Amino acid sequence: MTEFPALTEDEFRKLCDFLYRRTGMVFNEPKRYYVERRVVERMLATSSASFTDYFKRLRADSAGEMERFVNAFTVNETYFNREDHQLKCLTSDLIPQRLRHKKPGELLRLWSVPCSTGEEPYSVALWLLENWPLVDDYEIEIVGSDIDTQVLEAARAGIYGKRALMRLPPSLIDKYFAQLDEQSWQIIAELRESVRFTQVNIVDEEQTRPHGRFDIIFCRNVLIYFDDAARRVAAENLYENLLPGGFICLGHAESMSRISALFDVARFEEAIVYQRPAYQGGSRGE
Amino acid sequence: MPLVRKTDKGKPRSEANPAEVLKALTQGTQDERWAAARAAAVIAGGVQALATALRTENDSRVREAMFTSLTRIGTPEAVSAILPLLREDDASLRTNALDALRTIPAAVREHLPVLLNDEDADVRILSCELVRGLPTEEATTLLGALLTREPEANVCSAAVDVLAEVGGPSVLPALDACAARFSETPFLRFALKIARDRILSQSSDIHD
Amino acid sequence: MANDSKTILVIDDSSLVRLYYRGILETAGYHVEEALNGLEALEKLLSIAAHLLIVDINMPTMDGLTFLSELRQKELPLAGIPALIISSESKPQDFAAAQAAPASSSFLRWSDCDFAALLTGVRHG
Repeated sequence: MTEFPALTEDEFRKLCDFLYRRTGMVFNEPKRYYVERRVVERMLATSSASFTDYFKRLRADSAGEMERFVNAFTVNETYFNREDHQLKCLTSDLIPQRLRHKKPGELLRLWSVPCSTGEEPYSVALWLLENWPLVDDYEIEIVGSDIDTQVLEAARAGIYGKRALMRLPPSLIDKYFAQLDEQSWQIIAELRESVRFTQVNIVDEEQTRPHGRFDIIFCRNVLIYFDDAARRVAAENLYENLLPGGFICLGHAESMSRISALFDVARFEEAIVYQRPAYQGGSRGE
Repeated sequence: MPLVRKTDKGKPRSEANPAEVLKALTQGTQDERWAAARAAAVIAGGVQALATALRTENDSRVREAMFTSLTRIGTPEAVSAILPLLREDDASLRTNALDALRTIPAAVREHLPVLLNDEDADVRILSCELVRGLPTEEATTLLGALLTREPEANVCSAAVDVLAEVGGPSVLPALDACAARFSETPFLRFALKIARDRILSQSSDIHD
Repeated sequence: MANDSKTILVIDDSSLVRLYYRGILETAGYHVEEALNGLEALEKLLSIAAHLLIVDINMPTMDGLTFLSELRQKELPLAGIPALIISSESKPQDFAAAQAAPASSSFLRWSDCDFAALLTGVRHG
């Protein structure tokens, strides 16, 4: 196995500079071992003779190496109530702000994209039912979309194992899930019916446009994997899918500063989110 | 339960009428110009229309959409429409142009040798940044060559910044020569040393 | 490190430039934060308090002058943070634009910039 440290001091700093530039993720000396372990993993996977060799591959994004590399640094597991600070922000701040522009009974539209196997949109639904006092006063539409039809099928079926439910208190599991066997629970029919699942490639505006405009979009942990060209197009598509004043939430390791200046940044107690300007002409027009 | 499932009520597919798109590109509201900017990626005469509209468009978001459309068209004509904007007085327009070019390194590649020799030092500076998008060897060769002839410290700094990422042993002589020419420029001395250290410290094979 | 040393936010897309400033400023006793472009700077300023901004002009996604103009539209104290614009621009028009930049900004030419000039600028900023 490789000796630690596998990278020289300067190689480590060079890599951190590169990662910071491309993704916004900050790594420094305390995270040295964490970073090196993952680099060595990828070096072995790509049969790279040296870090120099590997870094060339990474820079050239050979065989999609950037995505694999970034993947090694992000938590890829999906489960209910992942990043719940965004859910808190949803009911404390985002929805109340959106409601300022709506009449009672008017439709509130939320989009989870990519939705993977459905944990995220169902979490939103559950959260609203449990934490939003006004949930009965407004019509809410939740759409979950993904490029992968297999995960969409799974999402529609709504069957989950223990790990996916690990952040939910037993009382909520009892209330909203039916246990099918030792290892699986199915979310109740009313909730399955309350989320619409669709297939979408967010880089294709012909696919995103028909979804209409939303009040709030959750687009977590997908843009960080795209190259610059795809990020731009996806950002423009998502901008179109937001109502003026609407909000978009990214994954915690992601930042619009590496993606696009279309959105304004807004800070709330629980989260930093991005917003489509509320009025025509915005502050950046002349 | 208040959560309702809606059937798809999305907007119908937009059928882009070229004449309308071209008109809206300069005469529409902000939303209309945005939509036209995106639609211009797929109509005949799009490059020319976008290039013209960019000269008078003040809204940064619409401009961004215009640049994206040009990059999506991606033809040599489209690239040639963006390049002159690297010379603009307006910093945000230059930034937009550079950001756009950054997304299409393959299309920009052929222009780089000329751009790196441009009379305007600021264009040479921005072009160094575009070299960052090239494969390691090519980037090193181009910037090594630049360093041996470049009279401006600021341009050398921009090149060295990229060489700190891509440079290999072959460029060490050029770095040393640059250090000798600009011994009185503190930042450049600092940057050259870092680039040099990073190149010299490159490890060879993994120990087994 | 905790004490009451002032925080300077260095906003520049070059990692070497940021490293250079960090060295000078930390040695002089300041706490340094970094951002790679104007947008990241705006984000950072939502979470940290900075006493001074050092701003480059040419940066991806959001340039320095756009950043300053966005900043000045926010509420105080954010809008009032003094800024030192340090740029490699050589065009007279850019120099003029930078000098005309929103209040509380002063301008240093990159080519004039060295240890002493920077610290003088920082002390006055």
